[in-house]
Amino acid sequence: MSRVLLPVASARDTWRATRAEFAELPGLSATAAVLLIAAAASGLVAPWVLGRLVDDVIGGADTGRIVVRVAVIAAAALVGGVLTAVAATVSARLGETVLARLRERVMDRALHLPSATLERSGTGDLVARAGDDVAQVANVLTTAGPLLAGAATTVLLTAGGLFALDWRLGLAGLAAAPGYALALRWYLPRAQPYYARERIAAGERSQAMAGALQGVATVRAYRTEREHLDRIGDRSAAGRDLSIEVFRLYTRFTVRGNRAEYFGLAAVLVAGFVLVRTGQGTVGAATAAALYFHRLFNPIGLLIMQADVLLQANAALSRLVGVASLPPVPEAAADVPEPDGALEVLVAEHRYEGGPVVLAEVTLRIEPGERVALVGASGAGKSTLALIAAGVIMPSDGKVALGGVPLNDLGEARTRRRIALISQEVHVFAGPLAEDLRLARPGATERELHLALERAGATGWLRALPDGLDTHVGEGGHRLTAAQAQQLALARLILADPDVAVLDEATAEAGSAGARDLDRAATAALEGRTALIVAHRLSQAAGADRILVLEQGRVAEEGSHEELLRSGGRYRHLWDVWNVG
Amino acid sequence: MSLDAGGVLRRTIRDQRGRVAAGVAFLCLHQASEAMVPVAIGLTIDRAVATSDTGALLIALAGLALLFTVLAFAWRIGARFGVVAVEHETHRMRLEIAGRALDPRGQRSGMRDGELLSVTASDTEHAALVVQASSMILAACTALIVSAIALLVVDPVLGGGVLLGVPLVLLGLQRLGPLITRRGEAQQEALASATATAVDLVAGLRVLRGLGAQDHAARRYAAASSAALAGTLHAARAKGMQQGVTTAINGLLLAVIAGVAGWFAIQGRITIGELVAVVGLAQFVAEPVQALGWCLQLLATAKASAARVARVLGAAPLVGSGSAAAPPAAPERLVLSGIGHGGLDGLSLRVAAGEVVGIMVYEPKHAESLVAVLAGTVPREDYRGEIRVDGVPVEELDLAAARGVVLVEPHDVTLFEGTLRDNIAAGVPDERIDAAVRAAAADDIVASQPDGLDQVLTERGANLSGGQRQRVALARALAAASPVLVLHDPATAVDAVTESLIAERLVAARAGESRATVVVTSSPALLGVADRVAVLDDGRIVAEGAHEELAASDPRYREAVLR
Repeated sequence: MSRVLLPVASARDTWRATRAEFAELPGLSATAAVLLIAAAASGLVAPWVLGRLVDDVIGGADTGRIVVRVAVIAAAALVGGVLTAVAATVSARLGETVLARLRERVMDRALHLPSATLERSGTGDLVARAGDDVAQVANVLTTAGPLLAGAATTVLLTAGGLFALDWRLGLAGLAAAPGYALALRWYLPRAQPYYARERIAAGERSQAMAGALQGVATVRAYRTEREHLDRIGDRSAAGRDLSIEVFRLYTRFTVRGNRAEYFGLAAVLVAGFVLVRTGQGTVGAATAAALYFHRLFNPIGLLIMQADVLLQANAALSRLVGVASLPPVPEAAADVPEPDGALEVLVAEHRYEGGPVVLAEVTLRIEPGERVALVGASGAGKSTLALIAAGVIMPSDGKVALGGVPLNDLGEARTRRRIALISQEVHVFAGPLAEDLRLARPGATERELHLALERAGATGWLRALPDGLDTHVGEGGHRLTAAQAQQLALARLILADPDVAVLDEATAEAGSAGARDLDRAATAALEGRTALIVAHRLSQAAGADRILVLEQGRVAEEGSHEELLRSGGRYRHLWDVWNVG
Repeated sequence: MSLDAGGVLRRTIRDQRGRVAAGVAFLCLHQASEAMVPVAIGLTIDRAVATSDTGALLIALAGLALLFTVLAFAWRIGARFGVVAVEHETHRMRLEIAGRALDPRGQRSGMRDGELLSVTASDTEHAALVVQASSMILAACTALIVSAIALLVVDPVLGGGVLLGVPLVLLGLQRLGPLITRRGEAQQEALASATATAVDLVAGLRVLRGLGAQDHAARRYAAASSAALAGTLHAARAKGMQQGVTTAINGLLLAVIAGVAGWFAIQGRITIGELVAVVGLAQFVAEPVQALGWCLQLLATAKASAARVARVLGAAPLVGSGSAAAPPAAPERLVLSGIGHGGLDGLSLRVAAGEVVGIMVYEPKHAESLVAVLAGTVPREDYRGEIRVDGVPVEELDLAAARGVVLVEPHDVTLFEGTLRDNIAAGVPDERIDAAVRAAAADDIVASQPDGLDQVLTERGANLSGGQRQRVALARALAAASPVLVLHDPATAVDAVTESLIAERLVAARAGESRATVVVTSSPALLGVADRVAVLDDGRIVAEGAHEELAASDPRYREAVLR
């Protein structure tokens, strides 16, 4: 199945969306801009005064003049210091606030991704965007943002300062611009593919490492340490060589940057020379211009040397804007009544994107409070039918309705409130156990949480947890066993309290020993709900009101446990095999 | 052998001393040239612009060109040496850490997978940056010294002033360092925590969606994001203050130097060109001063990372290894006597060659303890009793030899990147793979892949179902054809028909006079085909016999096994 990746915003859309974010904070944006300009302007005072000082000396001024000049430089330094501090703080507040809003919206959209899109794209890309991309943009913004904003204003204002001294000196200073532009034009197209390759190499390296670490028990058992180390070594070496190569390229770029600096400086000196010689300018003005230009080396260097970082951040940003610009999940029309009644599933045919037929001619009606089990070998289409019944995917040809209201009309959000799906995928959310449970019901009291866990049969291990409900579970915390994680999933279901529950192999991985407990827990969790259960263990099926036996996407048998046993068909055979011994 | 942060950093420099020395030399040359730029500007103003001497201007421009050429290439060469050194060291440390993490004997660093990953990925990089930090410190010092000499040549009083003033500024600014570092760390932590929350929520997205809990999750992330924002702004205030103070102090320093130099120039003690050079140098010295501050921060980061690297590299192995090679096959291939560990209490068990033994464990935790002891991942001092493999106490055996005899396929199935064939058995003849695949009832999995056995697994088999993964792992265990094979709940995620198929074929696949197989399970299908079933209760074997007998005579056993 091909992966449909999530959208990436075009350069123009990225720019527009970013600008719109800043426009949301007009006061802060304006203040930051004014402060940045003022801070940069205060930096221009010193070289200008120094130029005047040179003229004073040539003109033979007295000591008093010098004192005034020095006082001006000192005052500019103090004012500049304050302005720089405030400008950096305010611009950081602006940039970081915008970023925080953006990342929150990205997560909101990511979490509300339409089910069908999620099924197609998988979570890998989303994880990368919510994690790496956000971190990358944040990093650049936090570490380089204020510096770059300061550098950009300094460059613009200093160029202005050069023109203010003498327009010819300003023009001379501009002689450096083509050099910088050419250097960038030479470098960026060459560097971009390298950065992409470098990122891929880093990803492959950490994948090799993560794979080996996660499977370290298997690696040791099969004594394949050498193989894995070799793979990690190869990947790491490939990454290293790429990094060195790209740095070589970068140093060639900086040499070009130095060349541009030289031409700019030489042009300013020559212009100053000509102006002095023709009597159109003073030595002081030439000095100030040279000092101005010398002062530009750093900010310009910072800007062009960071160009690649900015481009990478921009690429990450466009991926974020791509997700953030997804339309919010449409709410169902308000006039659709709150449905009540049976869940009806009608699948004439279902196939995944032009693949083979997975389900055909399946009709299923589950009355309120009824419990239906799906039985069949792997690949019979049980999980697909569960996804369809839960409204997560739509059948290619067919319909699903709850209480007569098609799920399409009901909308995703309302469907989810009525129909819950516990899939095979178990995930324990990192953080305190109570927080995990409160994802299902945010306002739940501790008592409710305890009750839910108790019904899910988790009281035993809950008591053994070091900090009870406050115990940190999931990644980086206390590790729950597969069975415990499944009981947790059932407890969440109890807290979410939907009318309809679809259980897909929720107890499959438990191991025989604890499976009976899980069966009991599932029964308790499903009490009073309309339920569709994908049963691997026939004991789950035996307890259901009705059983559907699927074979190659079609319903082979249907009836209660006793009826099916009596009829002596497929189910009877499965039951006999199940009970060997 | 204990290794600390300083040790890791020193070793890094020592191993790369050639490159570091060359890099330092060129970077120093670069900084010296940078320091000469304002002097050159001053000379040009003095000798060419002020005098309107065209010849002097041409000479000055040529001199400047030479200076910039030296400057550019010195940086290019020096920086390359530095980066090559850093990259090579990072790579080497990465491999060392991977080697420790995958050491057959295990390791006691106490770090979780995630931590180990971040140590390999980023701490190695940061620790290796010590090369850059130390070269840049030397280069910045060179720049300062060259500036000082130039200033002393112009005028001893001015030169002395700069030499005194700059270190004072440096010391003053450094007082802000700890505050910034502290806030920066807090901010990084808050950001990392928000990112981790995002990744965790998205990874569990299907679970959230199943319950319609996306809104709550989004609110939870928003809270984490706000906390990160608050931390960032807190840090930004400190950083902003530092920038402001730096700007102000540099400006004041410039004012003082310009004032004194201007006064000297009026008195004729120095020339106009010297005045310009002094002012230019005073502007320039701020750079190496700032670079020094930055390098000190970099060193602190490198040190913190090096400490984590050292923690892994210096970690003691978890289990020991004997030195004896694998002994010849004994009639009793595996003998456990009086094992006590994690709930096991005096467990004794003999597994003879040619046998398939089923072990029914009432308490899942005891099954895990038993499997861990058999896998040889429990330190000797953590379990009582004795394990003999082919008659030899297991601790006397070389670890690799012991694992070569006893293979334990973990219950938590992990597949690796690569093809199905790579996962089942790289380098094993096709017939054996085919046989193992059939025995594990995994033929339909292979058949359903477009490329069969050569199908590359995506995301390490994440697209396979739990049952499919279990069967691939079982095929892998069978293909290894190990003398003693230990399986732990090998078919819990497959349907009943497949399970009984596996049970039948497993016995056939493991047939052989010298082979022994242990299956820890409560599946009646698997227990039914075992030659003998041992029942583990209260930490020891309480009953032994054929599955049918036990099922007929022991109601508790029947209750636990039959359904």
